[in-house]
Amino acid sequence: MTTRTADGFDIEVSDHGLGYNAPQKMGNRLWAPMFLMAVMAFPVALILSFVRASTIADASTQDDFEWAAELGHYIAGIGFIGFLAVFAAISFAIARILGRFRKGGGDVQEAVGGDVQTLKMPITAKIFMLFMMMGMMVIGVAVVLHFVAAASVGTWAIADVERWARVLEGFRRLGVAMYLFGIAFGLGTIINVIRFQSIRIGQLSK
Amino acid sequence: MTARFDALTRPKAGDDPRTNSKYLKVGLLLAALGLMVAMVTLIANIAAANNDNPVTAVETLAWSFGLTTLAFGTIKLAISVILIGILVRLWARVSAVKAALPGLKGSGDAGSPRGDIDTDHGAATETADIPEPLPIHKMARKMWFPMVAMGYMLVVVGTIVSFIWSGKVADGTQQAAQAWTAGIQFLGEALLLAGISFLLGSILAALREGGGDVQKSLGLPVRTLKMPVTAKLFVAFMALGLMVGMLQFVLYIVAAAVTSPQSFAAWAAWLGPVREFSLGLLLAGIVLALVTIGNALSFQFSRIRDIVATGK
Repeated sequence: MTTRTADGFDIEVSDHGLGYNAPQKMGNRLWAPMFLMAVMAFPVALILSFVRASTIADASTQDDFEWAAELGHYIAGIGFIGFLAVFAAISFAIARILGRFRKGGGDVQEAVGGDVQTLKMPITAKIFMLFMMMGMMVIGVAVVLHFVAAASVGTWAIADVERWARVLEGFRRLGVAMYLFGIAFGLGTIINVIRFQSIRIGQLSK
Repeated sequence: MTARFDALTRPKAGDDPRTNSKYLKVGLLLAALGLMVAMVTLIANIAAANNDNPVTAVETLAWSFGLTTLAFGTIKLAISVILIGILVRLWARVSAVKAALPGLKGSGDAGSPRGDIDTDHGAATETADIPEPLPIHKMARKMWFPMVAMGYMLVVVGTIVSFIWSGKVADGTQQAAQAWTAGIQFLGEALLLAGISFLLGSILAALREGGGDVQKSLGLPVRTLKMPVTAKLFVAFMALGLMVGMLQFVLYIVAAAVTSPQSFAAWAAWLGPVREFSLGLLLAGIVLALVTIGNALSFQFSRIRDIVATGK
């Protein structure tokens, strides 16, 4: 296998299709479990929010306010497990699409005969993976800390619990923005892959 | 009007497919802008958490909420622009494949269309002509632009209202503005995600129509995948998510009229997760749309390989 640059693309030249790379294999396997986790987490958070709303509506004692604060952290944590999972599922589904292009393009070139050219992982794909992982970590850490804060209600002052909620809210939102930013780069990679393949199929017919 | 929106998704005459996509550049710039705004709001939240003056802290959190949702909306707008770029490239790919395949096609005889068939990629049909677009495809082509445009406008309007909310904190009359901010912005977010869903639906329509166009141009029976279960679920999730998104807007209007702070806090406690549930449903639909696109691509590559290897 050799590597070279053509039409502005870094490509690998081989005598057979290269199939899926590691992130694409991961995408094939993991989109479904992440999807299932997401569709379970959102309704659980919603149901707990009804319990919390009822507690707040009738709250009169310190215990009621503490229970509402504790539930608030659990609801935020579970809801954002849903967002973590659904954005991961979207990212894995995009990796799966990129895998279909890589494998399918290789298979077609193999059928034609001669060299098989495969696009090397572009910088947009690397940024996509980097931001997906960063988004996942930021939201994941925030979710864990929400559960820590929920478990600490009663030992911490209500003001501290509220302070944690505000800081974690900011981090959760940043995590979502990072995920979305990564997804934009993942989709951008698809544009470049289609451009490469459109040029390549023209070369095959000559 | 619809034709004008549809024209945005097609390559212009004389476009060189070798050039970089302008949609990609614009989309990535918008996404970077959105990420920067989200970072500003993180700093605002940390400042509010450490502010000993409760009024100033809540004022900061109010505009920070509005600005964060604007950041998400801006990145979603960026994603929409990039999806338009994908559509443009897909149509350019159809032209490239149509031009190349006659020289690559094997020498076999394809025979007559066989009607309903099973393939390794699911149930399909073989017809003499390109099948008509499905109703959801027609709807997707008409609806993506209004959804994206209205969605982003509502997010911007909600951001402005969040500053009004912030300004009313000091005199304790912020409840109505708070409810309007959340209701308007999350209806906007839901519409933006619906717009993205319709763009993904348009990509599926382009794959179906473009695949048929290529096969017909070669004089072959047109083999088309039937609508898979993932696509049906995608439509169901999107419709449900959009309905819940509209419902939360109506409920926030009702909550805006609640006067007791305790009752308002109870309303806000469950309306937040309702709006997140709406976005969750729409995002789950988007996952299924992307999975369907992956399956459609597998089918297409397998079809091209068969045409090259066997001519049928």
